[in-house]
Amino acid sequence: MNWFINSLGSSIGKKLMMAITGLSFCGFLMAHLAGNLTLYGGRDAFNAYAEHLHSLGILLNFAEIGLLSLALIHILTGLYLFWQNFRSRPVRYAVNKSAGGRTIGSVTMPYTGVFLICFVVFHLLNFHFVDKTQTTIYDIVDTAFSNLPYTLIYILAMVIVAIHVSHGLWSAFQTIGANHLKYMPFVQVASIVLALVFAIGFGFLPIYIAFNL
Amino acid sequence: MTQTINVTLKIWRQNGPKEKGRFETFNAENISTDMSFLEMLDVVNEQLTRNGKIPIAFDHDCREGICGTCGAVINGRPHGPEKATTLCQLHMRKFKNGDTIAIEPFRAMAFRVIRDLVIDRSPLDEIIQAGGYISANTGGAPDANAIPIPQQTAETAMDAAACIGCGACVASCPNASAMLFTGAKISQLALLPQGRPEAAERAISMVRRMDRLGFGNCSNERECEAECPKEISITHIARMNREFLKASFFSSVK
Amino acid sequence: MQLDAKIPVGPLAEKWDNHRFNLKLVNPANKRKYTIIVVGTGLAGGSAAATLAELGYNVKAFCYQDSPRRAHSIAAQGGINAAKNYPNDGDSIRRLFYDTVKGGDFRAREANVYRLAQISNNIIDQCVAQGIPFARDYGGLLANRSFGGAQVSRTFYARGQTGQQLLIGAYSALMRQVAEGKVNLLPRREMLDLVLVDGQARGIVARNLVSGEIESHAADAVVLATGGYGNAFFLSTNAMGSNVTAAFRAYKKGAFFANPCFTQIHPTCIPVHGSYQSKLTLMSESLRNDGRVWVPKKPGDSRSPEDIPESERDYFLEQKYPSFGNLVPRDVASRNAKEQCDMGKGVGDTKIAVYLDFTDAIKRDGRGIIEKKYGNLFEMYDKITADNPYETPMMIYPAVHYTMGGLWVDYDLMSTIPGLFVLGEANFSDHGANRLGASALMQGLADGYFIIPYTIGGYLNEMNSGPVTASHPEFQTAVTAVSDATNQLLSVNGKRTVDDFHKQLGKILWDYCGMSRNNQGLEKARKMIRDLRNEFRENVLIPGSDSEINQSLERAGRVADFLEFGELMVIDALARQESCGGHFNEAYQTEENEALRDDDNYCHVAAWEFTDADKEPLFHKEPLEFENVHLTQRSYK
Repeated sequence: MNWFINSLGSSIGKKLMMAITGLSFCGFLMAHLAGNLTLYGGRDAFNAYAEHLHSLGILLNFAEIGLLSLALIHILTGLYLFWQNFRSRPVRYAVNKSAGGRTIGSVTMPYTGVFLICFVVFHLLNFHFVDKTQTTIYDIVDTAFSNLPYTLIYILAMVIVAIHVSHGLWSAFQTIGANHLKYMPFVQVASIVLALVFAIGFGFLPIYIAFNL
Repeated sequence: MTQTINVTLKIWRQNGPKEKGRFETFNAENISTDMSFLEMLDVVNEQLTRNGKIPIAFDHDCREGICGTCGAVINGRPHGPEKATTLCQLHMRKFKNGDTIAIEPFRAMAFRVIRDLVIDRSPLDEIIQAGGYISANTGGAPDANAIPIPQQTAETAMDAAACIGCGACVASCPNASAMLFTGAKISQLALLPQGRPEAAERAISMVRRMDRLGFGNCSNERECEAECPKEISITHIARMNREFLKASFFSSVK
Repeated sequence: MQLDAKIPVGPLAEKWDNHRFNLKLVNPANKRKYTIIVVGTGLAGGSAAATLAELGYNVKAFCYQDSPRRAHSIAAQGGINAAKNYPNDGDSIRRLFYDTVKGGDFRAREANVYRLAQISNNIIDQCVAQGIPFARDYGGLLANRSFGGAQVSRTFYARGQTGQQLLIGAYSALMRQVAEGKVNLLPRREMLDLVLVDGQARGIVARNLVSGEIESHAADAVVLATGGYGNAFFLSTNAMGSNVTAAFRAYKKGAFFANPCFTQIHPTCIPVHGSYQSKLTLMSESLRNDGRVWVPKKPGDSRSPEDIPESERDYFLEQKYPSFGNLVPRDVASRNAKEQCDMGKGVGDTKIAVYLDFTDAIKRDGRGIIEKKYGNLFEMYDKITADNPYETPMMIYPAVHYTMGGLWVDYDLMSTIPGLFVLGEANFSDHGANRLGASALMQGLADGYFIIPYTIGGYLNEMNSGPVTASHPEFQTAVTAVSDATNQLLSVNGKRTVDDFHKQLGKILWDYCGMSRNNQGLEKARKMIRDLRNEFRENVLIPGSDSEINQSLERAGRVADFLEFGELMVIDALARQESCGGHFNEAYQTEENEALRDDDNYCHVAAWEFTDADKEPLFHKEPLEFENVHLTQRSYK
């Protein structure tokens, strides 16, 4: 098993873990978005979706444990990489200037990441770890987004998700070695498109609800 | 047209690896715009020498952009502001009269500052020692045309092989990562049929050595590719990643 | 004293084979008992160090650069010759041999050149096996091009970076041996003396360029692969650090220096444009395939090139050499450019340049084709001069590029000091009075990969002396001498910088011992160099100390040697009262202004023996015998 630990522990191995967990989260977000779109169908549609989800029972628990593991891997590896990368240049440059390679997504990756951890905790506290015996999920959402600061935090978070994904998605492809002359331009466009889909898809929901559109 | 300009230089001075460094300011006057950047430093050094001061130490050799010896960070850009250019090929016509130019050494934990702008890049040699070669002892080679190599493959290998080992990729990387340097060599040798027998061993060994030497990790910022004086593409990093993952999980090399 | 080159007997084609058979082999178990010092890690030194280590010897490899990969072999652009005859255009080992001997104006040793041509093919095989990405045809086979006016296509190339690729190949082989512990790599070291014990080369004294420490290194044999001395001229296409110090200090210890006046001036370089200029940049010779060389007919014409009508342009190479035109050999093209400028017809601000014009080629083939052929060169030119060669003619002027002279070696590449071997540009052996394009890389790798590994074994078998360590008194003596010399330099504390002296020396050599020479000028130069040398000793200014990184001190040591060596170049040029190849004495020329050889009196190698500082060196001669080629007058009309 030494080889396995050595491989994953290498710089490329760590990046591989980031890439695979990151891609998984992109998949999760797509599923999550698909589910959330039922909000546009109104209270009943959304509650039905929630109920359907909960009827999965033990499967759902497995999924949750899976997501938690992915998150732990993504977060811990990410923080470790961040620390290593910070340490690798002990004396910083007095003048910093980009040659044009960096993007807003790539520059802010660790910071958007840390923000998103906080947001996810906040999000789970809001919607997951709440007592749902007296109320439905739709009502919780409805109440939450009638509060303006909540709405703004959610919209901001979705913009940040988009920024994170805009770099993360194509970057994951690069990391696993899938950088091909013919396909990479498509992957890069897809990263931006998906980022926008997340930003608009998720970001518009609080507005829709808050303003009862 | 040839003109002369005056510029202010803020140059990093550091007496030794363990000493504390600081910026010193110099005025470079009557600098011809036809001078190369290093010739401008020569002029400053001649003046310093005549005035009984210690000249600025900087590495340089071929002064035609191929040996990879020179390099400093000019206003935040390794090898200066011009694309695909080493410091020795950068000319003063890229600057304006009255400019202030900050000159710092390539910085990374793996690159110790020896003095002023002179750094120790031997970690790059160590990465090559870990497998940046084909184990073909002199004498045993088959006829050069025994194995045809598609032209496109040879050209792509040449793109990677153009690396001059200057270290600008490390210097420009926000994480001081040596992935472009390492990737270029692994990619070149992985592309060629002669390099295949050792490909798995090479990828694993070189990547592990690179990690041990204290370089940072790649976060796909693409600064290396943008600064590389030989414009080596990060597709070579992707090929290295592929080779490394293939070798780690699907080869018998441990 | 007549020098014995120890050329093996037998027919030309069998000499090397016979010799290899006759050389005694070193038992594999014994190889690890021997240590060999290799100074210099370019094509010759790098390949030698790697190959000797592969064979089992312990190798110590030295270079002044921060990494062996920086050696100036890396800058060679054009390619490497080999007699593979892949294009099926009539090439053969014999033809490569003949072209090289003729190109060298019959001043090279037949047996060495033939061996070089034989080995050339193995080099290409070896390099491909190392993963060097040579250019290939669509079918995947290796591509060849014609180079430097050769009538066959025998040049292998990797874009315009052949030297780089070959060097990186040798460097990787070397790195592999470093990893295996067979090579002890000592970068940022400068060899400052050769140490002899009982008349044999047994080690070197080197300065650690970072700490300033003077180190002693003992061995069983010493290999010098330290390149040429083109930087004697200050301005050359050599790297800034290229120097003659290692070779010159070996000369002072008894190794003879052969043909120091043979220097090659390359015709197509970017002209000098100011006194601050530190080096000259070569533009590949291939440019002359399509560019037309011209100057205005009227001296002093300062109109811009597009304003000068066809009728007022002098295409002097095409006029003078109708059949070769712009493609005449390097020395001929260079001398003619100088002649035009001397007549006041030079162009540009300095008037020391000629035009190389692509207008007609672009009209004929279209810009696309020209861009494909020379795009990167045009870009480089534009980068340096800020002129666009697609729109305005390039300006070029000759520059010092390569030195054919070097330490004298026998057929085994051993100098006159037993145990001191000299490889690559540092020796004098294979190019005679003029080197053909794409032959330098071939020679460096032949020496390192395929010759020294055999011949050094023969020597080690016969050297008959016990081990020597660095504590031997001879090392102490050498260390003291080197330290004293360094302190002497530092204590002068004069007024002029090292570069200042170097530039002046360069100008003297360029003016009087450059492209064309005459006895009067050479005599004058000799005196000027002596005066300059004396002034250097009293008036040089070197800041800093010897116990730290001190780049001025490094340069000072090199320039001190150039100041002595420059005189040796002049002495040699004076002694050779003929013209041949790169050595053109104005008194000896044909009616067509070609170099006129004197085969009766000068068909020899001139080898100089050091006597004492500032004393006349002793002249020795190795007669050159040509049994397989007929000596002819070169003609390019």
